[in-house]
Amino acid sequence: MNKIRLIIGREYLTRIRKKTFILSTVLFPLLYLGLILGTGYITAKSGRKMHVAVIDSSGYFTKAKIDSLNLLDSSSRLSLVTASASNLESNLEKSGYDGFIVVPATVAWDKPLPFLKLNTTHTMSMEGTAPVQSKINALWMSIKNEKLGIDAEKKRILEQNNIIIVPENIKDRKANSGVATAIGSVSAILIYIILLLYGSQVMMGVMEEKTNRIAEVIVSSVKPFQLMLGKILGIGLVCLTQILLWIFFILIIYNVTKLTGKADAMSSVVGGIQDVFTSSNMPLILSCFVFYLLGGFFFYASLFAAVGSAVNEDMREAQSLSFPLMMPIIFSVAMMTAVLKDPTGSLAFWGSIIPFSSPIIMMVRLPFGVPGTVPWWQLGLSMSLLIAGFIFTTWFAGKIYRTGILMYGKKPSWKEIIKWAFRKN
Amino acid sequence: MASILETRDLKKYFATQKAVDNISLSVAQGSIFGLLGPNGAGKTTLIRMITGIFYPDSGEILFDGKKFDPLNDVAKIGYMPEERGLYKKMKIGEQTLYLAQLKGLNRKDATKKVKEWFIKFGMESWWNKKVEDLSKGMSQKLQFVTTVLHNPKLIILDEPFSGLDPVNSNLIKDEIFNLAKNGSTIIFSTHRMEQVEEICNQIVLVNKGQKILDGEIKNLKQQFKENLYSIGASAIPETNGSAPFEVSNTMNDETVIKINDGKSTNDVLQYLLQQGVVIHSFNEVLPSLNDIFIKVVEGTAHARQFQEIKD
Repeated sequence: MNKIRLIIGREYLTRIRKKTFILSTVLFPLLYLGLILGTGYITAKSGRKMHVAVIDSSGYFTKAKIDSLNLLDSSSRLSLVTASASNLESNLEKSGYDGFIVVPATVAWDKPLPFLKLNTTHTMSMEGTAPVQSKINALWMSIKNEKLGIDAEKKRILEQNNIIIVPENIKDRKANSGVATAIGSVSAILIYIILLLYGSQVMMGVMEEKTNRIAEVIVSSVKPFQLMLGKILGIGLVCLTQILLWIFFILIIYNVTKLTGKADAMSSVVGGIQDVFTSSNMPLILSCFVFYLLGGFFFYASLFAAVGSAVNEDMREAQSLSFPLMMPIIFSVAMMTAVLKDPTGSLAFWGSIIPFSSPIIMMVRLPFGVPGTVPWWQLGLSMSLLIAGFIFTTWFAGKIYRTGILMYGKKPSWKEIIKWAFRKN
Repeated sequence: MASILETRDLKKYFATQKAVDNISLSVAQGSIFGLLGPNGAGKTTLIRMITGIFYPDSGEILFDGKKFDPLNDVAKIGYMPEERGLYKKMKIGEQTLYLAQLKGLNRKDATKKVKEWFIKFGMESWWNKKVEDLSKGMSQKLQFVTTVLHNPKLIILDEPFSGLDPVNSNLIKDEIFNLAKNGSTIIFSTHRMEQVEEICNQIVLVNKGQKILDGEIKNLKQQFKENLYSIGASAIPETNGSAPFEVSNTMNDETVIKINDGKSTNDVLQYLLQQGVVIHSFNEVLPSLNDIFIKVVEGTAHARQFQEIKD
């Protein structure tokens, strides 16, 4: 036991002290936030406001209407002009307009008007013309309303005709499916990234010991199983440290922004996080998150360690042997959308029970509510199977590891590796 | 003398090889013991069983008079494998401490010991360097220190001199004698015979997983001697049927002769004196360990063949 603690200490300290750990711990959330905020900012800034001339031969589009609409909606600007279409077309670039629309004289307010042409000097995407389109439609709507005698009050009543379907689970009225979807997918993706990242760290660590030829020195002092377990626990602790630091950061941001209460972009993101905290069973979800993260890590890490012990220096060998391990992890994430659509379906049920996918799939389901969506017995079953699963994989991997770590030469096949596991000492 | 290590009918079969097949041996306390054998003879497998890395299929190991208990006894063994290495990215001082603690020393004792050894080998300035900064010879020295640091009763060295220059070889060799003098037992595995002759008292030679020779070097030499003598003389006359010996080799003014069966050294001297030969020297030629090794192992295929093992 003492020796395992020494090994854990070494694995933990050498990794924590690396620059890459500190950088990745600080940079990952920053990059993640930067990605979300940055893209929003860029879209908001880069959108050019179009200035479009309107040549109206029908007489419906009056200057008063256009001006009042320009005040309401500044995403594009319309101007009523009297110049002829051919004149404007030849001088469009000099005139200062980005394009012009000709409303023909044949247009009638009670007949359909399927399209109007926006003449520009360069090709525009649907997205670029969308503000103009919505403005023209609003204009057309107000013209129709006026003809029909619908005033502002009647218009308000008409606009209240949209019904939104809100799902509510009668067993768990607090559950909020929007927030649940967000938490579910974020935690599932996080577990996915961590399983792959830290799983391959374990594999690389074992390979390092093997290629450095230190494995035999160490196993003459400790049992191979202790060495493997120490490595996995040490790296698991590193992973836990990183997660706790992230949670700590979030809590700091949460509290700081709550105090200052500024209405900038940052605090609106955090405001969203605050909603998340208040509208769901956060303590349960957080503790389950840590459980499934570590459970999944231990389940897969020992298998990654076994693969690391079986291969030689060659990175490609490691990749081809670890591919079957990555498959179920990637597959679980692929199932996520289907599970989000129907968190109580049979795919969701089995996915969250079987230990190969339960760390990811159960975390997708859990935010939808316990016991509303996930009955307690399912959670219990899933947890105990995961525990049993990682005890099995650790035992199984330990057998492979013991043989593999001292084996040099040709790359073994999976069949040979399985044989090692079931061979007597 | 009491034996520190004894194996009885030790056996370990792998899928395609009888790696160790019924080996019994006994290593005396405080001796320097040579474990010899050609490549693939089963030396490493045997050592791995003695160090608790492998479990034997059958047979038993006695360590210090008691049944070998890998969990506790490994702390009393220092093993430097042939395939050796250290963590490249770890600082040397820290790494040495870590390895010493894995052998059961507490942090305080370990620090003290490491400092002592570093001073002894002139490595004080290495403490905060990383292993990747060391040359091959330097890391070999460090590896030796990590092996013997915890004052083990039994030290097993697999090819300890490979990659070392003569100066550092001597440093390690002196240290080996020193350790033996202070009561440690050393098992020395190699196929470099001249080193064995220089260092070891007792050897075991294994081939194809079986023990084929066992004993003290001087006894083995007697056992394998071929009645060869070297004569330093003015000129050895042509021998004919009446001479009690045959010339087997001539080199400068030394002649190696083989005494015929039933004749003694005195017969030879008498014959030579009668012929008027002036003799400067007359010595028995004992076979070198190398000769014995080649003689015993001769006939073995150069590479060990794979075979089917039926239990």
